[in-house]
Amino acid sequence: MPRTSRFEGRLLIAPLTAFLIALLGFPLVLDIIYSVSRVGFENIRAPELIGFSNYAKAMADPEFWAAAWFSLRFGLIVAVIQVVAGLGLAVFLAPLFAKRPWLIALLMLPMMVAPALVGLMYRLILHEFVGAVPYYLLEWYGDFPAFLGRDWAFTTLVTIETLQWTPFALLILHSSYAAVSPDIREAASLDGARGRRLFVNIDLPLMMPAIGITFFLRFIDSFRVFDNLYTLVGPGAGGSTTSMSIYIYQAFFKVGDIGLAVAASMLLLAASFVVLWVINGLTARKAPL
Amino acid sequence: MTRLKTLLTSAALFAALGVTGAMAEVTVLGWPGGPEEAGLRKAADAYNATASDADKVKLIFFNRDGFFDKLAADLAAGSTDFDVNLLATYALGRYTPFMDPITLPDASKATFPEKVLATMQYDGKQYGIPTDLSLHFMYYRTDLIEKLLADADWKAKYGEISEKYLGKKLEPKDPDAWTWDDWMATALFFTKSINADSPTRYGTVLQMKNLLFNMMVWQSVARAQGGDWMNDKGEITVDSPAYRTALDIYKKLYDDGTSPKDSTTYEFAEANAAFGAGQAATMLQWNAAFGDLDNKDKTPAVAGKIGTVAPPAGPEGRFTHIHGLGLGINKASKNKDGAVKFLNWLGTPDAMVIYAKAGGSPALSDAVVAKVSTERPDLVKLGQYAGSYGFVMHGGTAAKALQVYELQAKEFTAYWSGGKSLDDALTATKSGMAELLKP
Repeated sequence: MPRTSRFEGRLLIAPLTAFLIALLGFPLVLDIIYSVSRVGFENIRAPELIGFSNYAKAMADPEFWAAAWFSLRFGLIVAVIQVVAGLGLAVFLAPLFAKRPWLIALLMLPMMVAPALVGLMYRLILHEFVGAVPYYLLEWYGDFPAFLGRDWAFTTLVTIETLQWTPFALLILHSSYAAVSPDIREAASLDGARGRRLFVNIDLPLMMPAIGITFFLRFIDSFRVFDNLYTLVGPGAGGSTTSMSIYIYQAFFKVGDIGLAVAASMLLLAASFVVLWVINGLTARKAPL
Repeated sequence: MTRLKTLLTSAALFAALGVTGAMAEVTVLGWPGGPEEAGLRKAADAYNATASDADKVKLIFFNRDGFFDKLAADLAAGSTDFDVNLLATYALGRYTPFMDPITLPDASKATFPEKVLATMQYDGKQYGIPTDLSLHFMYYRTDLIEKLLADADWKAKYGEISEKYLGKKLEPKDPDAWTWDDWMATALFFTKSINADSPTRYGTVLQMKNLLFNMMVWQSVARAQGGDWMNDKGEITVDSPAYRTALDIYKKLYDDGTSPKDSTTYEFAEANAAFGAGQAATMLQWNAAFGDLDNKDKTPAVAGKIGTVAPPAGPEGRFTHIHGLGLGINKASKNKDGAVKFLNWLGTPDAMVIYAKAGGSPALSDAVVAKVSTERPDLVKLGQYAGSYGFVMHGGTAAKALQVYELQAKEFTAYWSGGKSLDDALTATKSGMAELLKP
């Protein structure tokens, strides 16, 4: 590459690089400093360096691991349900969508609501004295479960998250399903493939990249669950619904242990980086194929 | 033309704001978005009407969300954006390193009872003028309790239920004479699953969400049993028999179904919804709930049928948690003289009458509250209860008092919801509190 072109290239990319450094680099450096400091709101401008004890504290805290397990379990379960439900809907409703595409827009509506508002909405809907669900269950069956109680909270949260975000999976998987060439399906049909066999051997393999991406996006989004969870039940009785995001929020704002909160978030960042690196590696290895 | 008018109006508005800002010499950071703000605005207007330009007050407000953390960060950073700032009893220790103590004017000693002034004291020094007080009432349905006290069949059933569930036969009493056992018996009696004739589904509604404010509501039970956070030697005493009894009172009531199943997610609003729906016979709740509950438009099912008394008595007496909001002086203020003048005025009976009439909830001495008792009858009980039954736990104003409440909320709700044994919850609370409250 000629020297002038190289210079021009660097010049053109400089604003973006400066923007990224300012937007990501500065907070990251600040986080690293806080994570190795004793720092609260009182000395937030003058943190006291203490080494890696915040990391040790987080790693030794059973509640940190409980929160990590909660988020992991929640993220995996919700992502699997949403992908399966989204895939099912995409396939079964495909003929309907082909005739009435506006139905897709209708199904996307739940995604338009802010998650925090969804949490508040269900807090009302499930409240024994003002909510419709307990009211009708009581009318019809004479009883209802404690939807937000310790035993049911996880199931309720999974249901709410699924109801709100399955349309997202549906949208991607519908596009992917619609993109499978009719010629391929026709060729398979001529070879005798029908129904389930056609779906398993033709559609599904072709949709796998989209399924993988959908699962990954939904897992990331659900793993970092905060808004709806916080407005619905908060950290839960005895911390039973504390996700990683809520753990970090509690440590930062409620306990005022900013060093611990930031160290926990840095550990989360490191874990995320490892996952992304592995996925990147897998993708790169498959690319030549 | 319309655009020109808009521009001119905007310019005039900005100019007016600028003039107001220039005139204001004492900036006061108040508690935003509620009756406290309405009260402070009226009081400031009255003060500015007679104050010299140099002493005039300008009010600023943050959002309530995260207010105390933002305030702590600003005070610690030596902000000079405000001269006078909000204080709360449970956060005194956190703020006092960055505030100046004040000398109370004689007028304020006549305005407030001694216990109320004490809600703004730390290490023997006065840090603020107490503008609002929060405490707890035992709310009950007057129609139901009147029938219980008069109906022979109900009385007999009450005795049977108390004997079966509490191991002793009790007789119904006037709520003002209740012990915690009487309250439990009443809650059991008015629970449909225990007494099919109960007109309400539940006997009470407990606030058991993992939330620090719920610990403030509950701890009146512990104090009545003799519980305290620490003894005089500074040793943590939450694993005392008093705490065990108080925790078991809630646990038993919840397990016996006297409170809704989702009570472990209930706080102020949910409890009010249950009581306001007419489906709970009693409720231990903040005094601030009374206005809405007794409003026929908002809660027609119970309005006009609500009685309030101080929380029931225990072996050590009758107590209600109290905490105050108040205003004190920022150590970094550049106009401390002006700030002192405003606070001295705010502590006078005249200022507090204005504040109370505009919606604030100050706990006032008998002589002063008499001036607003027609418009604010609730303030009469507020002052009486605060003076007679008010308490602050030993350590309740420490720098990390809020974190102590957070810890208790987590551990005690774990016990109530069945996630931990009582011993494990108390052991964790004790060790956590020892760390948080160490000198």
